[in-house]
Amino acid sequence: MAGRILLVEDDPQIADYIMSGLAEEGFTVDHAGNGRDGLFLATDSQFDLVVLDRMLPGMDGLALLKAMRAAEMATPVIMLSALASTDDRIAGLTAGADDYLGKPFSFGELLARIQALLRRASGAVRQVQETTLRCADLELDRLTRQVRRGTRKIALQPREFRLLEYMLMHAGEVVTRTMLLEAVWDYHFDPGTNVIDVHISRLRRKIDDGEEQTLFHTVRGAGYRLAAD
Amino acid sequence: MPARTVRRAVRRGLSPTMVRLVTAIFVLQLLSSALVIVFLRGQMLDVVRLDRERQVTDVRDDLLAAYYDGGREELAEFITARRGSAADPAVFVALIGKGAPVLSNLVRVPDIPLSTKPQQVAVRRGPDQPPSEGVALVGQLPDGERLVVGVVSLAERRIDLAFASTAELTIAVAVLMALLSAVVVGFVISRRTHLIAETAAELASGNFGARVPIEGTGDGFDHLRQQVNLMAERIGELVGQLSAVSGALAHDLRSPVTRLSAAIDLALARAEEPRAIEALQAARADADALRTMLENALEISLIEGGAVEDRRRPLDLAAVAEDLVELYDPLAEQSEVRLEARLEPVTASADRELVSRALANLIDNALKYGGDAVVVSTRAVPDADGMTWAEIAVEDNGPGIAPTDRTRVVERFVRLDDARTRAGGGLGLAMVSAVARLHGGSFVLGDPVADGPSGGKGLVATLRLPC
Repeated sequence: MAGRILLVEDDPQIADYIMSGLAEEGFTVDHAGNGRDGLFLATDSQFDLVVLDRMLPGMDGLALLKAMRAAEMATPVIMLSALASTDDRIAGLTAGADDYLGKPFSFGELLARIQALLRRASGAVRQVQETTLRCADLELDRLTRQVRRGTRKIALQPREFRLLEYMLMHAGEVVTRTMLLEAVWDYHFDPGTNVIDVHISRLRRKIDDGEEQTLFHTVRGAGYRLAAD
Repeated sequence: MPARTVRRAVRRGLSPTMVRLVTAIFVLQLLSSALVIVFLRGQMLDVVRLDRERQVTDVRDDLLAAYYDGGREELAEFITARRGSAADPAVFVALIGKGAPVLSNLVRVPDIPLSTKPQQVAVRRGPDQPPSEGVALVGQLPDGERLVVGVVSLAERRIDLAFASTAELTIAVAVLMALLSAVVVGFVISRRTHLIAETAAELASGNFGARVPIEGTGDGFDHLRQQVNLMAERIGELVGQLSAVSGALAHDLRSPVTRLSAAIDLALARAEEPRAIEALQAARADADALRTMLENALEISLIEGGAVEDRRRPLDLAAVAEDLVELYDPLAEQSEVRLEARLEPVTASADRELVSRALANLIDNALKYGGDAVVVSTRAVPDADGMTWAEIAVEDNGPGIAPTDRTRVVERFVRLDDARTRAGGGLGLAMVSAVARLHGGSFVLGDPVADGPSGGKGLVATLRLPC
């Protein structure tokens, strides 16, 4: 998946790493080192997504975001911030950010979130209203709360159901552990250890065991992907 | 007072310094008692002597009046008949000069020179009586005769006798009082110093808000208290600076750690060789652990500094606990630990995110360091003041933590030696403690009850929040 991304980040080394990482993934990246340049670039040309640092010289990231939204620019924005507390996250999201990532973050996490946002923006993500979610021969019915793989019925715990539902809604995308914690458990902290991994492996056994085609894939350094390939 | 406290107090009271102090006070007290007794006796004797001298003068004046009234015959008659003031059996009189001396209360004429002032004499008052001490005046009558008037000091002897007969009692009382005052002084000093020491102990245990109450007496103890308080303030400041520094350090470390993670990710994406991938994955795990530690350190700094928004709402702790038990359940199952929830519905005024984090830390710790059974419980607990608290407790049946180490492990970056080899940033309990303080609650590590789920061994970590 390619796209044009604007990165507004004042730390040159972090900017370098993000830019080279994103270029590696096939994105075109424009970089602004301060808030004013960032706002100029954002309003001047068309971007698919903006990665915005919260604390910037010249113009604060939050102010830049508000200015963008005031100009009715709907470009998805991921906010990066050294202020990762819940308060700052809420401030960022209410200012119009689509996602918020605390520093330090892993590149895999950022990439997964960028891809999820781009998919959502392009309308590739299934709508929330859809009653049946599918991936290959895996089927989840949101009304009857039934899950089947081909003809095999699969009994799931309520939380496993929500986990699978989220994975199916983001089928084909990389879903990180943090994203799962936020969406399925509503926790905005890392409970450490490999809590999520154990949940996933439990779910994976129920879905993939005894099947020819595995649907759960582990993505090195990032998270998981539910896909038919 | 429980027996243990008494024993401790006695042990403290018997320290060499205390023994020396109490002994010194005892001896000084005895000496001062002795001095008082000697001084009092002298004073009393003086009073008695003056009294005698006055009496002697009075008697002489009476005798002289008789002499001037009726001459020598009248005087002799007055003396022999022991009239008026001469009737006192302690009084002795002698009229010496013409003819046989006229004596009253005397066996023979005492040998005394003329004097205008009363003087000490020894007289024999009866044929079979021992000589008595007395004071006498000797004057010359106009016709050349001498008049001796005196009083024996019977009373002085009586005072001495009284002193002698009550000596045992006096000494006993003096010793008792000396002992009592020594013990009281020792106790008072000991109590005051221990009060100060207790504050110092609280400071040592990390409560830098502890202060010794100043009594405003301006004495040495007050001076000591003031200095201890000043010291406490200084320590508090330094510790505050230290945590500010560790917060700032964590903050500054974030960018490099982000770059490190990014670099590892980049390398991972390009690495082909399995061994390189393995090494990079190990580096990644470490970078992640470092990141988590920094996040926790920062979060604790924020919480401790009160720099978080108040998001307290009525929160069903049982629901919070249930969610987390459910989250950790597969992990517990994988590590073959029985994770159980015993929840009573209880509502606290709390921040869901922070309380969840705190409880996650407690469960995580119990799974890592506890035994093979972990019980998470919630309940409402009334305290002595009639307030109700909401409690979340995590109990395990592991090796537990020695009572002496319990305060320490709650501090930042402290882990016990035997746990050092295991994963974990050493911030978990400090985080829980910070959350408790922010909510106006408390966090304690304790022993499980003997009839509890863990059978009395292990550890109970209790987070107590206001309802």
